[in-house]
Amino acid sequence: MSAYLLNLAELGTIFALLSLSLNVLIGYGGIFSVAHAVFFGVGAYAGAQIALHLAPDVLLAALGGGLAAGVLSFALALPALRVRGEYFVVASLGLQMVATTVFTEAQGITGGYGGLVGIPPPSLFGLDISSPRLFLSVCIAILLAVMAGVHALMRGSFGRSLMAVRDSESAAEAFGKIVPILKTLAVVLGCIIAGAAGGLFALQMSFVNVESFTLDQSVLIMAMVIIGGVGTLLGPLLGTALLLLLPAALSFLPGIPPTELGAVQQGIYGLAMTLLMIFRPGGIAGRAEGRR
Amino acid sequence: MSPILSVRGLAKHFGGVAAVQGVDLDLPAGLITALVGPNGAGKTTLFNLITGAVEADTGRVMLAGTELARRTPARMARLGVARSFQDLRLFQSMSVQANVLTAIEPHAWFWQPGGRRAHARRLQATEMALAETGLSALADALAAELAYAERKFLSLARILATGAQIWLLDEPASGLDPASRARFSALLRKHAGQGVAICLVEHNLDIVSALADRIVFLDQGRKLAEGEPQAILRDPALAAIYFGERRA
Repeated sequence: MSAYLLNLAELGTIFALLSLSLNVLIGYGGIFSVAHAVFFGVGAYAGAQIALHLAPDVLLAALGGGLAAGVLSFALALPALRVRGEYFVVASLGLQMVATTVFTEAQGITGGYGGLVGIPPPSLFGLDISSPRLFLSVCIAILLAVMAGVHALMRGSFGRSLMAVRDSESAAEAFGKIVPILKTLAVVLGCIIAGAAGGLFALQMSFVNVESFTLDQSVLIMAMVIIGGVGTLLGPLLGTALLLLLPAALSFLPGIPPTELGAVQQGIYGLAMTLLMIFRPGGIAGRAEGRR
Repeated sequence: MSPILSVRGLAKHFGGVAAVQGVDLDLPAGLITALVGPNGAGKTTLFNLITGAVEADTGRVMLAGTELARRTPARMARLGVARSFQDLRLFQSMSVQANVLTAIEPHAWFWQPGGRRAHARRLQATEMALAETGLSALADALAAELAYAERKFLSLARILATGAQIWLLDEPASGLDPASRARFSALLRKHAGQGVAICLVEHNLDIVSALADRIVFLDQGRKLAEGEPQAILRDPALAAIYFGERRA
């Protein structure tokens, strides 16, 4: 496998983890957030700082990133989830804008616009895993472990309660569910996973800056989940593969000037999402409509 | 018969509109009480006030003689007050079985207490509720895929599986065909016979007269009358209000 493909596979695995984390919010909890890149970013900066000042251990970076994102999300979720549906989307948009500014200005922690550079190569319990194959294997193992954990949680009573809240908050309450607690747990869980993905991202890139954690990134993650299939285990993985491979595939297409690739890509994303919402609102892995 | 749920002086204003004005209501165990009145009489709002879905301006709600000051729907559910909704509010993306199982699982963080044994008991209660409502064969179907009558029965299955002793049912039998309606009524009668206090909002007066032990007549948020079904339904003044011919 070429270095380019290995790099793409590493990024794909990390973004699969990221879209899986947003699926906990959107797919299972019905909580639409356009600030998911913020928690990815917090995890990435935390992971980078751990690697720079403690050790570039993959698990340490993932756990530190997850913890930082989890704590921040808990602090923000409690007040933010008091508002309903579309208001939460607006609140998350505000958070995304504030966070982008903070990431740019808090130079002591984030390195400002220049970012954090010189992140050492990744290790695992002191063993060097900087070889792309080894790093990819560890990322895949983490992704599979998280998928298994999320799958188990969502098949159990927590998942049922969360989906009940998504389908009808008032009915879930009428059957004894404490909606704010369930929603907060879903947000914190999703953000912990996003932060862990951020920690891995910092080690994979060996450099992080604000450009990876903007609104565009949040929209991309959301597109991965929606196109792949909300509320399904495999949907986010399919959406990630599709949206990460698309730019790579487009670059091989003749007749598209490199300067226009971005615009063509955006156009294809938009068209794909519109068509999916019309013909298959559940996404690629979701249930087809019209089975009533 | 002493009431297990009592309401005294419950009132709610929405801006300048008095939705419920000082209503008293008793729900005795084993009886079916029907709330009757024209649209806008405050019947559903009364359910919302009792369960805490909407905060009352004034008034008290007592459960077995104990006043419940800070009511929330989740707390009332834990205390054994179950309700249904006019628009059903099923968990559409979930299976029929999961709808019922979720309704009877107590609120928990990530895992239910009691382990596998408690889960097995809840599964058994779910199966019994589905069998009783004739939905066993549809246990794995999605709620969204059910026919209208099946959806109504699923709404009831969720409630009866909880083992709640007070049922507040908002138009539970509306739109049902006669056969389904008879089956539905028999189920309500059976559970009332087992001591459940049932209060239902219903516009179909045939169902009310066949099923209710008592009628409480509401209009413009006030309780106008209360008593035996035949006495209330034969009252020409109440009939005029109900059919919109005259106001009290």
